Amino acid sequence: MSATLSVEKAEPGGAILRDVLRKAIRLRELQLVVAIAVVVAVSALAHPSFVSPGNISFMLADSVVTAVLATGQTIVVLAKGIDLSVAPILGIAAVVVGFPAQNHNLPIVAALGLVVLVGLVLGVGNGLFVSVTRIPPIIATLATLSVYGGLQFIIANGQEVVNIPNAYDALGNNDVVSGIPWVLVIGVGIAVVVALFLRHTNVGRAIYAVGNDAGAAHRSGIPVQRVIFATYVLSGVLAGIAGLLYLCHTGSADSTTGTDSNVNLTSIAATLIGGTTLTGGRGGVVGSVIGAVFLSVALTAMVFARIPAIWEPAGVGLLILLAMVTDRHSSNLAARARRHRQGST
Amino acid sequence: MTAAAAAPGAELRPAVKSEARGDSRRRDRNWVLALVALLAAEIVYFSGTVPGFFGGGTGLLALTEQFLDVGAIALGLAVVILTGEIDLSAGTMSSFAGIVMAVLWRDGLEIWVAVVVALLLSAAVGALNGLIITVFKVDSLLVTLAMQFILGSVATALGGASPPYGFPKSFVSIAGTGTIGPVPNQLIVFAFLALVISLLVGRTRVGRSLTLVGFNRPAARYSGIRVNRTIVGAFVVSGLMAGIGGILVSGLYNAARDDIGNSLLLPGITIAVLGGVDIFGGKGRISGVIVATFVLGFLTEGLLVAGDSSLSATMVTGILLLVCLAFKIGLDHRRGVDVRALVSRRFRRLQSIGDPS
Repeated sequence: MSATLSVEKAEPGGAILRDVLRKAIRLRELQLVVAIAVVVAVSALAHPSFVSPGNISFMLADSVVTAVLATGQTIVVLAKGIDLSVAPILGIAAVVVGFPAQNHNLPIVAALGLVVLVGLVLGVGNGLFVSVTRIPPIIATLATLSVYGGLQFIIANGQEVVNIPNAYDALGNNDVVSGIPWVLVIGVGIAVVVALFLRHTNVGRAIYAVGNDAGAAHRSGIPVQRVIFATYVLSGVLAGIAGLLYLCHTGSADSTTGTDSNVNLTSIAATLIGGTTLTGGRGGVVGSVIGAVFLSVALTAMVFARIPAIWEPAGVGLLILLAMVTDRHSSNLAARARRHRQGST
Repeated sequence: MTAAAAAPGAELRPAVKSEARGDSRRRDRNWVLALVALLAAEIVYFSGTVPGFFGGGTGLLALTEQFLDVGAIALGLAVVILTGEIDLSAGTMSSFAGIVMAVLWRDGLEIWVAVVVALLLSAAVGALNGLIITVFKVDSLLVTLAMQFILGSVATALGGASPPYGFPKSFVSIAGTGTIGPVPNQLIVFAFLALVISLLVGRTRVGRSLTLVGFNRPAARYSGIRVNRTIVGAFVVSGLMAGIGGILVSGLYNAARDDIGNSLLLPGITIAVLGGVDIFGGKGRISGVIVATFVLGFLTEGLLVAGDSSLSATMVTGILLLVCLAFKIGLDHRRGVDVRALVSRRFRRLQSIGDPS
């Protein structure tokens, strides 16, 4: 018995390696890195300036706002929700901070506190609708998308932020060391913190558990609705911070900031391309961040290939489809998602 | 209730069951009645407070032109949502249809032929949505989200810098701003569409399949319904209705609009859900959707006529949706005959026991 076992063990030494390799190939993060490398290589061959330090740092900085939003979106999606209201939360945060910054030179630390507060309040709103009144997330956040959008319109009052203090501009567009912009450092910092939070804290693991099987999570003593509530609050706070980053990076904000640039959908796109599934419980923040970078790189490559900007959304759409169709797990997940949704609401 | 009480013990079970079903039907009907009451209250309120809203009845009728395009889209969305799926591409689908029609017309095609071609194309894209969803077994949210992006780009690219405008009079009259007496032609078109869809869903085999697929997919499969085909069919209907919505938009503005479609998606979904179609599928009535079209439409137009901005009108839309749904869900839970409500109630109770606090 032991002999056969040892034979079996000895033989597949190569098989284990093959197994590891197969797993690695299936890993969405790795697939994405390869895809990014391919896009970069092809574009660099056609246009050498694509890999100039300036362009690389531009692409990375450009992906930060999407990445931070996608980080929050990922938390929500992991618990099998969806947050369609991140765009107006970003917008409200940008205008709430933008006007005092422009007119009264609001210190940046106060600005940070303010956007966190804004995100917190609006996120609590979403969380209440989803976990207390039990309105399905897609509908609840669709409704708050309109409500918050109107709120942003009222707050902005037809005015526009066009001039931000130097401190903000420096944060948004200057480099820490040459080639590495501040926003990138902040974005990476946020992603690392959230990734650690999801992997190594009880709440983080509870989020995965709720997304995987709310019934089982409940039976093992996890306060399911509170966890769901928390995901929307976190998503709101991160969207608020993204609003500040947006303001610093672009130097402008008005009544349609966020909504007009479709950040809702790009944040979802980055999350999905990054391998987090709408069925919940599977995926992670790292994938979403790489997904955001991939989106930015692919869209910049389209610009370099002289594809008109109007095709940009189509590019995002095709990438989503591609990500779905290549996801080997997706086949049974759609059915599972339906079952779960029907069972848990 | 009396029937159940009178029945002997052995028959208690089926009696309770059928009562439960009757109860849920009654609840659906009550929801529609509540919507009608809301609509009446709304019309009375705006007629009283906003000068020019009622306009001797004709003003009221004329206002419907402003929102019937969304109504058409909502009818298609309702069909898809009944099957438990969702179609996020309906908004840009309407831009796509309007632009295709306009470009074909500009290039020399007879306008009505162009309309038919545009509608066929919309139905085909709807079928493509359905096929991708059923063949690759991907969540419809994702597929139609991607399609939304793609159709938006295609519409903008086809339309070019200045999309065609100034259509023939006959077209503008029928699909746009013409009237028969005081009744706008668009209202007649919408009435026809509403009739067709409600007969389709409420009175035909196809309609029952749609509902069952949304209510319990395995059961639908076991009872011999071709689930995938039904889903593809639902997306074809949604594509077609969104296309018609786009044609109505073009008629209303007498110009192809590639910029307006996606803003019709949210009100469309709002109308379907407000109309009582369960977002998880399997429950809902088209009559509710029809009434909800007018509830939302008159509310928005009333606010606009009163001088509110369009964004604060959307804000009110969102609040209306939240309040109505919270109310409806609360109602469903309290009456608690259906299993889902029961499970979730027990769920909550267990949870409060499990909670340390």
